[in-house]
Amino acid sequence: MNDIIFLIINGITVASIYGLIAVAVSITWSALGLLNLSYGFIFSFAGYGAWLAERHLYGEPIFVMFMGITAGIIGGVMVCLLVFIPVHDKPNFTIRGMIGTLAISLIGGQILLQNFGPKAKLLPEFFGYGKLKILDVTLTADKIGIICSSIIMLTLVVRWMKSSRRGLEIRAMMMNPHAASIVGIGVRKTGIYVMAVTGAMTGLSAVLLSQTYYLSPFSGLIPMIKGVSIALMGGLGSVRGAVIAAIILGFNEALTTKFLGGRYVLMTQFALIIIVLIIRPRGIAGILDKAREA
Amino acid sequence: MSDIKTKKRKTWKNPLAVWGAKGGNHEVATPEWKNPHQIWKDTKAFKVPTNKIGRFHYEYKSSNHGEKIWNRLRWWPTRRTILWTQGVYNRKSLKPEKIRKDKRPIFWFLSLVLLVIAPFILPEGYKNSLLTAGGIFGIYASINLCWTLVIGTAGIFSLATYAIVGMSAFLTTWLSINLGLPWWMLPMIGMFVGLAFGIIIALPALRLDGFYYGLLTLGLNELCRVFITTSHAFGAASGGLYGADTFINENWAPMTQTLVQYYSGFALLIAALFLFRFVDGKRLGRILKLAPEKKEAFAEASGVNYKRARVTVFLISSIALGFIGGFYAAYYRGSAFDIFSFHTVIMGLAMITIGGIGRADGAVAGTLIIVIIDRVLVELGPWRYIIIGFVMMFTILFLKNGLFGIRKQFRDWRDKKKGEARSSRLERGGEMLPEQATETDNKDEIYRRRYDKMQREFLKTLICDEIIEEHKQKPLGQHSEALERVCYYFRRGAMNDKYVVKCEVPFKKYKIMALSGVRGRSPRLVEDKIYETVEAAYHGLFLRRIQDLMEA
Repeated sequence: MNDIIFLIINGITVASIYGLIAVAVSITWSALGLLNLSYGFIFSFAGYGAWLAERHLYGEPIFVMFMGITAGIIGGVMVCLLVFIPVHDKPNFTIRGMIGTLAISLIGGQILLQNFGPKAKLLPEFFGYGKLKILDVTLTADKIGIICSSIIMLTLVVRWMKSSRRGLEIRAMMMNPHAASIVGIGVRKTGIYVMAVTGAMTGLSAVLLSQTYYLSPFSGLIPMIKGVSIALMGGLGSVRGAVIAAIILGFNEALTTKFLGGRYVLMTQFALIIIVLIIRPRGIAGILDKAREA
Repeated sequence: MSDIKTKKRKTWKNPLAVWGAKGGNHEVATPEWKNPHQIWKDTKAFKVPTNKIGRFHYEYKSSNHGEKIWNRLRWWPTRRTILWTQGVYNRKSLKPEKIRKDKRPIFWFLSLVLLVIAPFILPEGYKNSLLTAGGIFGIYASINLCWTLVIGTAGIFSLATYAIVGMSAFLTTWLSINLGLPWWMLPMIGMFVGLAFGIIIALPALRLDGFYYGLLTLGLNELCRVFITTSHAFGAASGGLYGADTFINENWAPMTQTLVQYYSGFALLIAALFLFRFVDGKRLGRILKLAPEKKEAFAEASGVNYKRARVTVFLISSIALGFIGGFYAAYYRGSAFDIFSFHTVIMGLAMITIGGIGRADGAVAGTLIIVIIDRVLVELGPWRYIIIGFVMMFTILFLKNGLFGIRKQFRDWRDKKKGEARSSRLERGGEMLPEQATETDNKDEIYRRRYDKMQREFLKTLICDEIIEEHKQKPLGQHSEALERVCYYFRRGAMNDKYVVKCEVPFKKYKIMALSGVRGRSPRLVEDKIYETVEAAYHGLFLRRIQDLMEA
């Protein structure tokens, strides 16, 4: 029983990191109609930003985390300026935007590889090595830290989107981009806000993941693919759906590791996603709320 | 010039001489006879050199005859023509000509011939590397043609193409190693593997659409990669699975091996092109062209079962991809894990987007460009991926649909510019627009308006304070040349809306009116101002006309 709870907590820890990217993918798609496949690059970019800050500026965990988030924001805005703003009003935007983000991740990955080399880098443990025991289950500090900081980040973003003027603009873009532009919401300006916020989320996930695993020029790829899968299962465009999907997939990961073995995680995960999508082509959010049509 | 009948007749004989006519000349030496029509023809002839006109005047157009229009080369035994030709009459010379409506077959033929003779014309120093790259090009171009069938023809945005090829390659290699299958069995078995994977992947495609499906297949690709790299059967440690039977004998001379590789890749490309032609250009392709994205409802209402056609195309191309996978295994004796990597997907997308998505020529040309950058310019190292990235960025930022969409994009742009120029011409007074000019029956009107416009532009340059002052001093009588020209123009104006002076009370009250130009319809008053003298009224009318001239 104990190890199941342990695995579930493991699953939730991983899911909370991937969930951040999933929500970022989801928001970008629903607000801008852009399938951003360069989150892998933004992830590595933010990770290297944090690593450089830790090396050359100041090693305090909060500062490193903040610098990682800042680097993520810069990466996101860069993608927005290079791909979204030039192409968003051109024909075949969806496919051109997607390929543009892929091109950026290709170029960016190679540039990171040239500058930092293929050797993996490790960020320090931010949350110390403390342990907490609740009912026979030992929780390590980094797990609590990861779960808490992603929940804080997600809550902040959701609160910001619910209560601020900019968030209102983004939500209007999600509901109907044409109507939003008619009532005077600037598509380009909103694009920059959206990409900055989603870049910050990716940056945070990069910092959190790179302290447990490692950081390399292409280490963002698997988190991005997992994030995209979660976003897909949750329904593109829905934050709630993405959160639910992240939790379900976290449980799935834990249970599969326990009963079948770690090799089969991806298989059960995709079987789950395909089953959900065959029942609900718009993902879990197809039940919860309306997703963007195109 | 056969119509100039010049007969040699050196002497003139009097026809009456035989009856013994008296006097006169019986026989006279005379100049050669000349056709009296000639001088008429020479005068009438069009002596100005004629330049060829039209967009494609430099292009060779074969001569034609009305009877020969339907006499064409055809692919035996069908009625299909080899080239799409059309009999037309030259607009200027009225000569019957044959024009080729679709020149793509010519370019395809020339490029394929170039590929066939490439081993004989390549420079000796680069021959080996270029031919190796040529073999890779054949395989990748075939994969991309099948992918184009899926994305373009079927409209299913699948990113799992390389996953099917890879799975087929790995499974056939494994079978070849463990069961000792000969090389020619591998593509055959690969077809079944491709079909099985096609069915599995096609299931979600029935429900999902567009990019949802694309993202799912991206995940499936990752699933295949993890499955293959972690399983012990497929050699988890060695970076790939090798050891399959191959058609390339290692005892042959290295050049022979390279040539066999090159030509087998070329044969695969030809087979893929035939497949593309017979799926995209025949019944299935036609059905799917009726059902593009977001117009499925119309197709369904027209009685087209587009879903079935889509899945059929998907399965056909999956079988073909499986075949290519088996071929790949027999070609390289196995396969590397790289084929499942995200990098391969990016490269494949680069290949099909640079040329233009959904077109056979785009897929092949894009593959050629990327393979040249990736495999021939090897000494550039990682820079070549950055170059490929920039080529992709350029394509998506500036081109609507890749390189082969440039033609249409350029024409759209040119038409847009033409339209803008036309609408800006509208501001420059009175002249007829080209489309008005073709509508009007009275063609004199076009030239009258053009002349009128030129004259008004000239007269505008004459208007200055001096001539207004001169007119004020003496509205009638002899004037300076500038004022006289302006007045002539005003007097010659058309009757409708022509200004006239109306006398209300002689020598006391004058007003300015405008004629209606229509018999029986009274003039209208243009202003309430009352002029005391007729001269002042004349001048007021003059100022009004000048105002109209300057504003027009």
